[in-house]
Amino acid sequence: MEQNNSLPPFPQGLASPQGAMTPGLPIFSPMMPYGTGLTPQPVQNTNSLSLLEEQQRHGMVGGSGQTPQLYHSQVSTTTALPGNTPLYNTPLTPMTPITPATPASESSGIVPQLQNIVSTVNLGCKLDLKTIALRARNAEYNPKRFAAVIMRIREPRTTALIFSSGKMVCTGAKSEEQSRLAARKYARVVQKLGFPAKFLDFKIQNMVGSCDVKFPIRLEGLVLTHQQFSSYEPELFPGLIYRMIKPRIVLLIFVSGKVVLTGAKVRGEIYEAFENIYPILKGFRKTT
Amino acid sequence: MAYQLYRNTTLGNSLQESLDELIQGSLNTYRFCDNVWTFVLNDVEFREVTDLVKVDKVKIVACDGKNTGSNAPE
Repeated sequence: MEQNNSLPPFPQGLASPQGAMTPGLPIFSPMMPYGTGLTPQPVQNTNSLSLLEEQQRHGMVGGSGQTPQLYHSQVSTTTALPGNTPLYNTPLTPMTPITPATPASESSGIVPQLQNIVSTVNLGCKLDLKTIALRARNAEYNPKRFAAVIMRIREPRTTALIFSSGKMVCTGAKSEEQSRLAARKYARVVQKLGFPAKFLDFKIQNMVGSCDVKFPIRLEGLVLTHQQFSSYEPELFPGLIYRMIKPRIVLLIFVSGKVVLTGAKVRGEIYEAFENIYPILKGFRKTT
Repeated sequence: MAYQLYRNTTLGNSLQESLDELIQGSLNTYRFCDNVWTFVLNDVEFREVTDLVKVDKVKIVACDGKNTGSNAPE
């Protein structure tokens, strides 16, 4: 993450007065919070939060008419900086350099829980599905409907689709390790039936997480301000579909405050996407 | 509607219901091949009006009843 050490002139102008008050204390300490839960303004913000961060990272911030969106307007609220004396009305600073997006003052405090992991692996040999269906336990095979054996195991509770090519899809695990372990168990079942099964190219293809922000959300407002990323058709589906660009995650956001995140290849993308959306959702909290 | 299971399967999202809930946890194994279902259940009570039969293990083999299953391969 690039730390912008060259401060744009504007904020730097602010640094001196503060410097005078708090000797030797850099105003632009990474601890300085900026922007918690402020509603991205539609006017300047035609980008999603993530894109805005990108812009800021490039020092584009602080255009004349632009109120620094992600900044605190009151210094007094910053508790992170020791020796920080309040009072100064000029918009606070910190520009950008810090880690974009996540307001350093508070993360959401909510961790999305993983609900489903889909992974694939290549067993590396052709398989006779009928043999597998007849001899393995907990298997289904209906070639007229679907050309794979559907097998399930109880621990980890998962389902596998096993194809005659030797490729397999494993779904239903709640963690990456469980998905891998389950896939290995299926491979072992196939191996015990007499096939020379290997365990090639195991890859997690999709991860799904969910969480609850614990307040109701104005989806109508969200779709208006984030229309490039949102699709909300309550007559079709009660949730708003938010396609975040960075990271590339799709979120289903519901009026109740529950959020589903999917499309991740790694766990961190789920967490990152939620931290990105949380301040936006706070801005659309229903107050009635 | 009869093939909802497979509709989900082709999406790669198979449900866990058969293991989670079916037969209140007595299901040991199941199999479906050649349009024939085979179940093995443990600790089952068969209750009729007067009789009560308890068994440790029961194997159920079930085929399509009427002419609902087509024999022609697709």
